[in-house]
This record gives sequence, C-alpha cells and structure tokens, in this order.
Amino acid sequence: MAFWTLYKRELTTYFHSAVAYIVLFGSALVQGVMFSFILSAVTSENYRDQSILQIFFTWPLFWLLILVQVPLITMRVFSEEFKLGTVEMLLTAPVREWDVVLSKFFGALTFFVILWLPIALDLLMLQLFSSPPPPVYWGQIGLTALTITLVGGFYVSLGVFTSVLTKNQIIAAVLCFALLFATFGFSLLRWIQHVDANLLAWVSYLSTPEHLQNAVQGLFDSRPVVFYVTVTAFMLMLTKSILEGRRLKS
Amino acid sequence: MIEVENLSKTYSGFRAVQGISFHVNKGEIVGFLGPNGAGKSTTMKVLAGYLPPTDGRISIAGHDVVSESIEVRKRIGYMPENVPLYTDMRVNEFLRFRAELKKVARKKIRERVETVKQLCSLKDVENKIIGTLSKGYRQRVGLADAMVHEPDLLILDEPTIGLDPNQIRAVRDLIKDLGKHHTILLSTHILSEVELTCSRVIVIHRGRIEASDTPANLTKLVRGGGSILLEVKAPSADVIARIEALPNIEDVEIVLSGEGEWTQAKVFGKPGIDVREDVYGVVRSNSWSLRELARVKATLEEAFVELTQD
Repeated sequence: MAFWTLYKRELTTYFHSAVAYIVLFGSALVQGVMFSFILSAVTSENYRDQSILQIFFTWPLFWLLILVQVPLITMRVFSEEFKLGTVEMLLTAPVREWDVVLSKFFGALTFFVILWLPIALDLLMLQLFSSPPPPVYWGQIGLTALTITLVGGFYVSLGVFTSVLTKNQIIAAVLCFALLFATFGFSLLRWIQHVDANLLAWVSYLSTPEHLQNAVQGLFDSRPVVFYVTVTAFMLMLTKSILEGRRLKS
Repeated sequence: MIEVENLSKTYSGFRAVQGISFHVNKGEIVGFLGPNGAGKSTTMKVLAGYLPPTDGRISIAGHDVVSESIEVRKRIGYMPENVPLYTDMRVNEFLRFRAELKKVARKKIRERVETVKQLCSLKDVENKIIGTLSKGYRQRVGLADAMVHEPDLLILDEPTIGLDPNQIRAVRDLIKDLGKHHTILLSTHILSEVELTCSRVIVIHRGRIEASDTPANLTKLVRGGGSILLEVKAPSADVIARIEALPNIEDVEIVLSGEGEWTQAKVFGKPGIDVREDVYGVVRSNSWSLRELARVKATLEEAFVELTQD
C-alpha cells in the first residue's frame, strides 16, 4: 500500500537529518532537567498535593517545548518537496493525494511521540530505582499520553498545513509557530480580568492547558477528544486541497 | 499508445499549449523538439498526469489521463526535467522505495532494482547517498527510477541535459535499446541525438505543432532538402547570372567573393532534382576553373531553425 511505503520513508527521513537529532537531543535534555528539578523539589519539601506528572505537564516550560518542537518537525514535510521539485516525481507515481498527506502527517506525529519518549524513560527509571517504588496510576498516565498525542496531532496538522503553503522552510516554521501561538494564546484569555462569562466558557472549552490538566488528574472528558480529532481532520483536508491547488497552478 | 486531441494548457492567463493533437504508436521513439518555452515540458507534465489539461482529451494505453489518472500513472515512467531526487537516500534505498511505490510485486522488487541498476550502470554507486552523486549519475538514477516498474511508456524530459559527450552517448545507446521494448517520448535540444535515436520528430513552437515527421523527411522540407556548394574562378555576378538561367534552379547565394578571383556560391535546386550535372555544364561551357562542387545535405538543425524562427 502506498501509504505504508510513504510513511516508512517519511519516518526514516527524520533520522537522515541533523535537525531531527538536535531536536531529539534538546527535547530529552529539557525533559530530563525538568524532571530532575521537579523530583528534587518534591522530595526535599515533602510535597504531597500534586504528582510529578501533574507538575510536569502544567509547567509553562512544557508548553514552550511543544510550541518549539512542532514547527521544527513539520517545516520540511512539504516545503522540501517543493524546493527540490520531488513533488512532481512523487505525484506522478500511482499514489493519491490522501496517501501523501496522511503519510506525512502520521510520520510527523510518530516523530513527535518519539520526542516525548524520554519522559517515559525518566518515569520508568524513577520506578526502578526508588524504594519503595512510588504508586503508579495507569489511568492518569494513559489519559495524559492520549491527550498529548491528540494535542500533538492537532499541532502537527497545523504544521503540515503551513508547510504545504510555501517552499521556504523558514516561512513554514514561522507561520506554524504563529498559528500554534494563536491557538495556545487563546487559552490565556482566562487570566485577563473582566472577560465576558460566555467567552470564558468558550475559552475553557478550547483551552489546551485545561484539557491536559484534566487528563493528568485522571478526568476523562470526551469533548476535547472530539474537538481535536475534528480540527485535525479539517486541517488535513485543507492541506490536501491546497496540495491539489498548487499542482494546478505550478 | 498516446492519443492527444486538441490539448490546451493555460496557466494564469498564459497559453503554454494551444490545441495540439498528435498520436504516438506502440514501439515508437518520438522526439519532442522545440525552443525553450515552446511548451514541451508542459505537454509532458500533462501527459504524465502531473498537470491537468485546461482543455482537450488525452488517452494513454486506452486510459483517460484525467479520469483514470492512477491507471495511467502505473503505465508511465516519467523523468522530469532536472531530475528531482531525494538527496538524503541511498541509490539502492531510493530505487527500492520507488519500486514499492509504483506497485512492483514484492517478490520482484529485488530483481527489478538489480536489472535497472545494471542497465543504467549504477552498480558502483548503489550504496552512495544520492546527494553526493555527480550530475551524470543522478540523471541515470532518474532514468532507472523511470523504468523500474517496466512501464509501457517512457516520458523523458531532456534526458541528456548537463551530461558530458561520453555520458550522452551512453544514455543515447540506452534509449535506443529501451526502444525495443518500450514506447518512448523524449524531449531534447540536441538535434544530432534526435537524428540518431528517434523514429519520428514532433516540432513544437509557441504551443503549437509545426511539423511531425521522420528526421529524414523533415530535412527535405528545408529548401529542397539541401544545396550545392560551388567554387569557381569567375566574377560573382557572372556566376549568379549564368546559373540562375538554368531551368531547375531556385536560388544562388554568394558565400564568398573577391578572394582572388575565386567565387564560392550556394546553389539551391528545385525539390527532388539533382542539378549538379547542369551546374557542371555551365562551368565547362564558360571554361571557369573549378575548385569545388559538392552536395551539402540539409541538417535537422536547419529544419529546426526554419520551422521555429519567426
């Protein structure tokens, strides 16, 4: 199937480029530093109100990391094909546009998930080397992983979308960062005073940090799931039609 | 194999291709000839299913290019101009990827990749990263990619551009060889290449077809298919007057005069008539000294210039 062939190539391409290793290294480093910092704070002050996971995923640094990671992962997916001209070779093979868009999206999403594996390793290490081992709440871990993947999917779809707009990777990355920032920044409205109550309800419905906060506390809400799946699918549809459109005018 | 009816392609107001029709039969090697910007690449992109036509109908191997695009693309090996390739992949890896993408049966992939590597002499670079290869090797990787799935039709956009003479010769031989099993449509600027490889030439200019014939017939179109070069010891005015007086002469052009008393002239006869004997008769009856009398065959280059000059 064309999707698998393309998906395999997308994923291996990440490991052919230096950018990927730098992003991977940077992510692992930031995650490790955050983790050890939180761990030492929790143990030295005998902090009992929140779990390590809760502190980790509500820290602004976590969001900063995501907002930087995604544009770096997605900027090349289409831009590079346009720049090298390989899109012509790709689309004259017997593949559908959907195969191309989906393979690029899932390739980038898979790499995004790989970028978050270090925190899983950190947690595993904590489990193995502390005695007695801290309790494990699988529900919360699972929900957190699911939410990060869903949010990642939405963010990656925005990045794939900005990449199909231009053959310049820098422009794609900056546009992606701007869109991510706008999406994320919307949730900051709740800290502004005198905000209309109706608007606040919307903010709370669309606020990614709140979704994640609920997940790490073990609260499952189906509305964000529907929300992320819908907007991701919408962005991918948009990407596909722009890919077709670029071909018409190239 | 290819049926094109009334194909037009317009981009943002510019009509790159204006209602062309042609057909290519199975087993033919057809050369697409024309100046830069004539619409060759555009036509090839439309045929390969990359660009949709603005108007007209194209069918390849009995399938419509627009409505059955996937079927058509399975049967075509297309090599775009400048051969874009994934520069981060190794040659082997790339060819395997392309074979898989083009739906070569899993069991046959290894065998097909080996075959095309052999055909395109890529064995010695099979494990190199494409980005490090020279232009000539990249061109051959592109060619190998185009034929890895054994397509019925090969569409090659300037397959020899940027190669050195030895490589051009190698690619030309390869194309001739491929022509035994595949139908080939190729575009090029190099006219000698067309003369040597193609069974038919389509000359395209400003988005229109100017001529479509065998290379030999095209050269016949040029002012009677050739001229006679004559060098005699006589004043140029005399030469023109006496030779133009002959019945089958169309034109006499002075190439060189005044070098001593020698005059060099080009004599154009009427199409299909050999006027060398008559010309010699004039020379003898006037007792001119003769230094050269030779037939000059028209080249495809002259045909090209004549057809595509405004």
